[in-house]
Amino acid sequence: MRDIIRLGLILLLITAVAAAVLAWTNDVTMEPIADQVLQANITARQSVLSDASEFEEMSTDTFAGYANVLEVYKGLKDGQVVGYTIKTNPSGYAGPIEVMIGISVDGVIQGVSVGNHSETPGLGAKASDDQFKNQYNDKKAEGQIDVIKAGTPKDNEIISISGATITSRAVTAGVNAAIQLYNEALK
Amino acid sequence: MDNRLIVSSSPHLRADDSINRIMRDVVIALLPATLAGIYFFRMGAVKVILAAIIAAVVTEAVIQKVRKQPVTINDWSAVVTGLLLAFNIPATAPWWLPVIGSIFAIAIVKHTFGGLGHNFMNPALAARAMLLASWPVPMTNWVTPGADAVSTATPLALISGTEAAGQALPSMVDLLIGNVGGCIGETSAILLILGGVYLIFRGVITPRIPVIYISTVAVLTFVLGGGFSLQYMIYQVLAGGLMLGAFYMATDYASSPVTPKGQVIYALGCGILTSIIRLYGGYPEGVSYSILLMNVAAPLIDKYTSPRVFGEVK
Amino acid sequence: MKIGNTFLRGILYDNPIFIQLLGMCPTLAVTTSAVNGVGMGLATTAVLLGSNVVIAMIKKFIPAKIRIPAYVVVIATFVTVIGLLMKAFVPALDKALGLFIPLIVVNCIILARAEAFASKNSVLLSAVDGIGMGLGFTISLTILGSVREILGAGSIFGKAIFGASYQPALIMILPPGAFLALGCLLALYNWTVSKKANQF
Repeated sequence: MRDIIRLGLILLLITAVAAAVLAWTNDVTMEPIADQVLQANITARQSVLSDASEFEEMSTDTFAGYANVLEVYKGLKDGQVVGYTIKTNPSGYAGPIEVMIGISVDGVIQGVSVGNHSETPGLGAKASDDQFKNQYNDKKAEGQIDVIKAGTPKDNEIISISGATITSRAVTAGVNAAIQLYNEALK
Repeated sequence: MDNRLIVSSSPHLRADDSINRIMRDVVIALLPATLAGIYFFRMGAVKVILAAIIAAVVTEAVIQKVRKQPVTINDWSAVVTGLLLAFNIPATAPWWLPVIGSIFAIAIVKHTFGGLGHNFMNPALAARAMLLASWPVPMTNWVTPGADAVSTATPLALISGTEAAGQALPSMVDLLIGNVGGCIGETSAILLILGGVYLIFRGVITPRIPVIYISTVAVLTFVLGGGFSLQYMIYQVLAGGLMLGAFYMATDYASSPVTPKGQVIYALGCGILTSIIRLYGGYPEGVSYSILLMNVAAPLIDKYTSPRVFGEVK
Repeated sequence: MKIGNTFLRGILYDNPIFIQLLGMCPTLAVTTSAVNGVGMGLATTAVLLGSNVVIAMIKKFIPAKIRIPAYVVVIATFVTVIGLLMKAFVPALDKALGLFIPLIVVNCIILARAEAFASKNSVLLSAVDGIGMGLGFTISLTILGSVREILGAGSIFGKAIFGASYQPALIMILPPGAFLALGCLLALYNWTVSKKANQF
């Protein structure tokens, strides 16, 4: 019995020291980490809407009822609204794909970025390559964008990734959802 | 006088079969489909078939030399592996694709696990799965048969609607003789059946696995597929690699169960998996994966279906 | 002599991956490229060094009956502290390695070395053992990552080494490729290195 109490106390001491070390570290690092996360988010949004310097989250009411839309931010520059960033998560070949779309106030797609996904490396994962996602840039945010497998794309078409039609369609579905949301609720 | 009584160790019952004879029969059975593949897909098919067979035989010889074993390339088994692998590759594939596939099949799947008779899955199919995962674009680059090879989709991809919707489905007759897009050896259902019947007639394979496998797919696609459509069912049975897989791959001695009951379970499993992948999966074709999965399950099936030892008391 | 021997043991004769087959989860999961291999290896080395030293220091204080929970607490604390500090002050490094840090906790090399070595040896020797094992782990992961990256992506450390006509074997950077590559490397390693080691 004495032994159990002794062992328990030693373990308590070790865990107490560990807890103290962790608490101190957490205290020191909490603020810098929050800063980093904030900065990373702004950088990510600027990659699809480079004109804006500040971002303001819009309430979920704006996009209530839209499937696959995760969050919408208003992009501001000197207090003026210059565009919107819309994060969607359409279903790809191997689960949801995080797609962020930047649309300027005059209705032009400024950029598309592909975030977390679990697509096949070398195939669907090529969706985050510039060669694929830059196809969306400067397209008009009206109607729908179509995916074609080969040939010369028209104004509202993009060429799919070779061997990854499902992924290409999924990313395009995300962009189309953003376009629809923009036209119906944000314009 | 001395030679009257010969004492030898078991087994005392000997069959006439030799690896040589069995493998040569398989090659003979595959010959009509090979010629059909060459007729339909021209030089592309010749190139792929030759590359696969030569690479398979050379790899076998080299590995047996390195492992200081007798070189057994005369027993035709490497030729069969190479030929079956070539059957699973589209004719448009570059020459190095079948070469890498054959090296993988012989070196990794067959010889690292102990050589002929010790492979735990069908070498040609494992190589096909590896090639498909590695080079999905050239491995699915189908063309129409004939001289002007135009890009097309396989009948199964067409019917499942994943690709090129709007292209007309090929006719039943074309499906039967093999005048459709697909891998070199899988398209001609009638010639594959002919070869399969020859193998059954020669006693190389029993009809158990192919018949149960194909009927399972037929029943399941009839019931679960297009709402009791007979045409859909026939289509599913004739198109794709089902004939090739059922007669020549699933019946591989080393990687299928030994007991009759086990073979029934194994063939049923293959059929169910194929139907599930085809009807509900992301791929239009599921024969190769279902056979590979059941190959891995074969030892377990054998364990539970092996007959009781005579006279054994529980 | 003892120090040199301890050091070499970790890298060659008791290589954590090729001989001891420890820490297979991070080994198979993260080695899709050479850079990932180096990153995971170095992060593990840092934790291994720290936990070995601390455990060697407090080994007299910990009763044998509760040594495993005590080691786990020490290791987990170390990993969390390193992870938090990196996230806060070197975000660039965190971006490259952040994914691997939590994985280190489940790496059994660290617990294995604490149990098998640091709890019985001096602080100095434990530190040497930590570095040796860590470097052995790093080297193995880098080799595995390089093989997979060369075959599966046609590049090494992110630089393309073949012409544009080279078509990489995608399977090598997919999970099955990890098992294939590890199996072949294990065979090769034991065929060459361990054959020599057994002669001693």
